[in-house]
Amino acid sequence: MSLRQYILVVDLASGRMRREEIPPELLRAYLGGRGLGVRLLRDRHTFSPFDPAMPVIFAVGPLCGTPAPTSARLSVVSRSPLTGTVYDCSAGGRFAWRLRAAGLFAIRVEGKSTRPVVLAVTSAGEELLPADGLWGKSVGETVRALSDRGSVAAIGPAGENGVLYSNIMMGEGNAVGRGGLGAVLGAKNPKAVTVDGDRPVPVADRERFDRARADVLRLFRASPVIFGELGISEYGTPALVDLMRQRRMAPTENFRRTVFDGSPAYSGPAIRAAYGAKKEGCFGCPIRCKKRASDGRALPEYETVSHFGALNGIADLHAIVRSNDACNDLGMDTISAAATLSAWGEARGRFPSPEEIGPLLHDIALRRGEGELLAEGSRRVAETLGKPELSMSVKSLELPAYDPRGAYGMALAYATSNRGGCHLRAYPISHEILRKPVASDRFSFSGKARMIKIAEDANAAVDSLVACKFAFFGASLEEYAELLSGVTGEPHTPQGLKEIGERIWLTERSYNARNGFTRADDDLPARFFAEAGSGGEGIDVPPIDRARFVEELTKYYRIRGLRDDGSSPDDGFLERQP
Amino acid sequence: MRSLIAKYAEKLHRDRSVVPGRVGIAAQDDVMLCEGAPDLSRLAADVLSRLSCLGIVAASPSLPFASYLLRRANADAKSIVPLDTETRTFLHDIPIVRREELGGDPAYAIAALLSNRKGVIAEGVGIVASGPVTLEQAYIHYSSVYHAAFVKYLLDALRDGFVLPGEEEAFREFRETSLQPLSAEGLSFRAGPLDDPEEVLAEIRAVGRYTVERGLVDSFFGNISWRVGGTIFISQTAASLDGLAGCIDPVPMDNRSTTGITASSELLAHRRIYEATGARAILHGHPKFSVAMSMLCEEKDCPVKDCWKDCPNVRMLGDIPVVAGEIGAGGLAVRVPPVIGGPGKAIVYGHGVFSIGRTGFEEAFRSMVDVENRCREEYFRRLDARARRQSKSE
Ligand code: SF4
Repeated sequence: MSLRQYILVVDLASGRMRREEIPPELLRAYLGGRGLGVRLLRDRHTFSPFDPAMPVIFAVGPLCGTPAPTSARLSVVSRSPLTGTVYDCSAGGRFAWRLRAAGLFAIRVEGKSTRPVVLAVTSAGEELLPADGLWGKSVGETVRALSDRGSVAAIGPAGENGVLYSNIMMGEGNAVGRGGLGAVLGAKNPKAVTVDGDRPVPVADRERFDRARADVLRLFRASPVIFGELGISEYGTPALVDLMRQRRMAPTENFRRTVFDGSPAYSGPAIRAAYGAKKEGCFGCPIRCKKRASDGRALPEYETVSHFGALNGIADLHAIVRSNDACNDLGMDTISAAATLSAWGEARGRFPSPEEIGPLLHDIALRRGEGELLAEGSRRVAETLGKPELSMSVKSLELPAYDPRGAYGMALAYATSNRGGCHLRAYPISHEILRKPVASDRFSFSGKARMIKIAEDANAAVDSLVACKFAFFGASLEEYAELLSGVTGEPHTPQGLKEIGERIWLTERSYNARNGFTRADDDLPARFFAEAGSGGEGIDVPPIDRARFVEELTKYYRIRGLRDDGSSPDDGFLERQP
Repeated sequence: MRSLIAKYAEKLHRDRSVVPGRVGIAAQDDVMLCEGAPDLSRLAADVLSRLSCLGIVAASPSLPFASYLLRRANADAKSIVPLDTETRTFLHDIPIVRREELGGDPAYAIAALLSNRKGVIAEGVGIVASGPVTLEQAYIHYSSVYHAAFVKYLLDALRDGFVLPGEEEAFREFRETSLQPLSAEGLSFRAGPLDDPEEVLAEIRAVGRYTVERGLVDSFFGNISWRVGGTIFISQTAASLDGLAGCIDPVPMDNRSTTGITASSELLAHRRIYEATGARAILHGHPKFSVAMSMLCEEKDCPVKDCWKDCPNVRMLGDIPVVAGEIGAGGLAVRVPPVIGGPGKAIVYGHGVFSIGRTGFEEAFRSMVDVENRCREEYFRRLDARARRQSKSE
C-alpha cells in the first residue's frame, strides 16, 4: 500500500486551508495518532498552550477505516494547559473513520479566528462556517445543530471559557479528555469540527489481514475481561467497581480511604438494573464496551462513577449519572472535575453533597463564583487554599480511580507518565489486577521498573496505531503487528512497534524536559507514603515504602537510559530522530 | 528476581518438561541476570539483550518431539502449525530454526524470531521462549510450546509413522519408561458436600496441585471450581493449578457482582455445567493424549472445515463424548453442559477434558485420570495397528 497520506493544515487566522502530503518517513517512524501528533509538535513544543501558534493535531492511525478491531480511533495532540506537558488523548466513536474516509490522515489546526467557526470536512473539500450562533451552546445542542454534517467533535462552555480540564467531545459521547485540550481549541475559536467522508481504505494483503483479525477475535473471546459474562462487553468499565472494592483500592474521600461502602450502588450490575443499559461501541468495534441508557444518554465509565461516587463520598447512582451528563454537556473531564471537587471538599472540611455538585459543575464551566477557582484543577485549588498536599495529582493531572497503594506498578506508572497522573500509559492494571496477559504481584516493586518501561513503549505504539487499550486484555502486539502488516503490505513485528513506541516516549520526555520538567515532577502525593489505605478482609494496604519507590524509580531511569536525576545524557536525541 | 529464576527453573524440572540440568533463564531488571546451564543461560541473556522483554527461558525439552517435528518439516518450512486450541488461540504457529540458519550468532536468529512470536524451536538448542511482561510468562510460553509440540508429534507419528533414524526407538523408550502411569491412588479427597468456604478453598488448592503432581496437566493448563449454593469458587484466569493460593474467586451465580471478572475464561462453561447437572465440583485440564485423540475424526467428506469450533456432532470415544467449541465466550460453554451429565466427563476438540464430581472432587479427578488413560490406550492401539499394517504391506 502506498504510504501517501494527507494532513489538512488549517490556519484559522487567515482562513487558509491546504492538504499536504505527510512525509512517508514520518509515518514509518511514528505510525500515526499520538506518535505522529507528537512529532508534528516538534518545532512548537515550548509554545504556551494558549499561544495561537500552538497547533491542535487530530491524527488517525494506519488501521483506521479498515475492519481491524477497535481501531476506528484518533488521537488529539497539543500541549496541556492543566499540566504544561505535551499532551495526547485517544478517542473513539465515529469521527476517526469518517475523517480517514474524507481522504485525510490528520488535521492540524492553528492560529486564531476572530469569530467562532466550524471546520467542516468532507471528501470533496473543507470549509470554515460561521458559528456565532453556536457559541455558548452545550455539546449536545451543538452536535444536534450539526448532525447533518457527519461526525462532530465539539467543545462546550468549559472549552470556550478555558477550564483547564475541558474536553473536546465527540458527538457519540466519547471524550478527548483529561488534559484540557478543549480549552486549547477553544482559545482559537472553533466551536466544532465536522467530518463526513465516504472513501474506502485499502488493505494491501487481505488474506494476511483477515487471518490476523480472526486471531484477534479468538483472543477476545478467550478473555474474561473482554467477553466474559462479567466483562466490559457486558457491563462496560463499571465492571471494575466491584473488583476495586474487593481489592481495596477504590479511592475514597480524596484518597483518605480505599474502600467505600456505598460502591455497590454504582456497580456494573446496579447500573444495568437502574438504566437498562444497552451495548454500544466505537465504529466497527466488536467489544462495544460503551453503555447507553434506554433513554439514549451515554452512561458513565468506571473512573467517573468511582470519582463522583467514592471519592466524594456519594452513593447516589442517579446523582452520579447526572454529574456525568453535566460534564459531557459542558465539555469537561469527569475525572479531574470530580477530583478537583474532592480536593476542595477535603480542604474546606466537607465534601460536596449530591445536590451541590450539579450547580458547581455549571459554575466551573462558566467560571463563575467558586467555579472560577475550581476551573483551574486540583493543584491550583489546593495551593490557593494553602493546602497543596491535598491535590491528589501528578504533574497537576488528577489521579484516576486506582489507588496506588493497592498496585505498585500503578504507583510507578503514575509517576513516570509523560502526561501526568494517568492510568492509561503503562496501564499496569492489566496485569496487576486483571491478570492479563499474566498476573504480577501488585504489592511488589520487583521488576516493575522494566515492566513499566516496556508497557509505556508498547502503549505509545498502541496509541499511535491508534487501537483501543481494551483490546490488549485479550490480544497483543503480535496480532496487531500482523494487522498492520496486512494493511500496509510491509512487515511489522511487536519488537519493531515497541521500538517506535520508545522513540515516541523519549520524544515526549525531551519536550517535557525542555519545558522544565525534572525528576521532582515524577512523584506521587505525599499521602501515599504516609497514610495507609483501608485494609481488611485479609488484605493489608500499608503506605508505600518511599525508599523502595525511589529505588525503583532510579532503576527505571537507568533502564530508560536516563541519568539518576531523570535527565537525559543525550542532548541531540530529538534532532537525530526522523 | 533471582528467586524467581530459581522458582521457574525448579518448576520446569518438577513438571519434567526439561532434560535435568539443561535449562538457562535470563531476566532483566536494571541489570541482566542469568542462571542455569552456562551455554543456555548465556544464549538466553544474549537473546534477551536484543528484545524489549522481561525474561527468556531456553531449555532442552525432556522429550525429543519438538526436534523431530523440526526435522520432519519440509526443508523450506519456517514454522510448524499445531492445531490444538492452545496454539490456535495463543501461539498461532511456532517458528523453527535449523542449525545452519542459526549461524555464528544463534542469539541473533532466535531474537529475530522471538520479536514476533512467543516461543521458537531451535535445532540443537531446544525451545526458547520469551516473557514480555513477567518471567512467569516465559515459563508459560515454554510450556505452551512444549505442550503443542507434544500433541502435534503424537498426531503426526500416528498419521505418518516414524521417518527419522532412531525415532522409533526413542518413541518406544518414551512409551515404556518416561510415560508415567496415571492414577488417583494414594490421594486424599474431602468428601462433599462442603459448605465452609475455607474448606472449599483448601480442597480446590489441594486438587489443583494433585493434577500437576500426578502428571495429568502442565500447571497452568486448566481450571477448577466448586459450587456452594449460589456461589462458584473458581480458579482465576492465568492461574497455575499447582499454585492456587489467593487465586480463587467466589462468584455469585446470579451475576449480582462482577468481582469474578478475573475468574477463569471458562466461568460461563462451569456455571452452565452446574446448572445442567447439579454437580458440586468441576475439573478441567489439558491432558495431552486426550487433546490428541479428540482431534482424530474419521468422518469422510465432512463439509465442516473449522472442526474445532464448528463441528455440530457429539463424537464418542468409548463412553466419553467429544464436542467442538471455542474457549471463553465461544461455543464450548454451549456444547459441553448437555453431554457431560450422564458420563460425568467430556472432551473438547483439541482442548482438554472436563469432569464433574456430584459430591466432591474425587469423582472428577478419577474421571480425568480415566479419560486420559483410555485415550492413551486407544492412541497406542491405533499406533500399533498402524505399525502392523505397515509391516504387512512391506
Ligand atoms: S472497546 Fe470500547 S472504547 Fe474501545 S474501541 Fe471498543 S467500544 Fe470503543
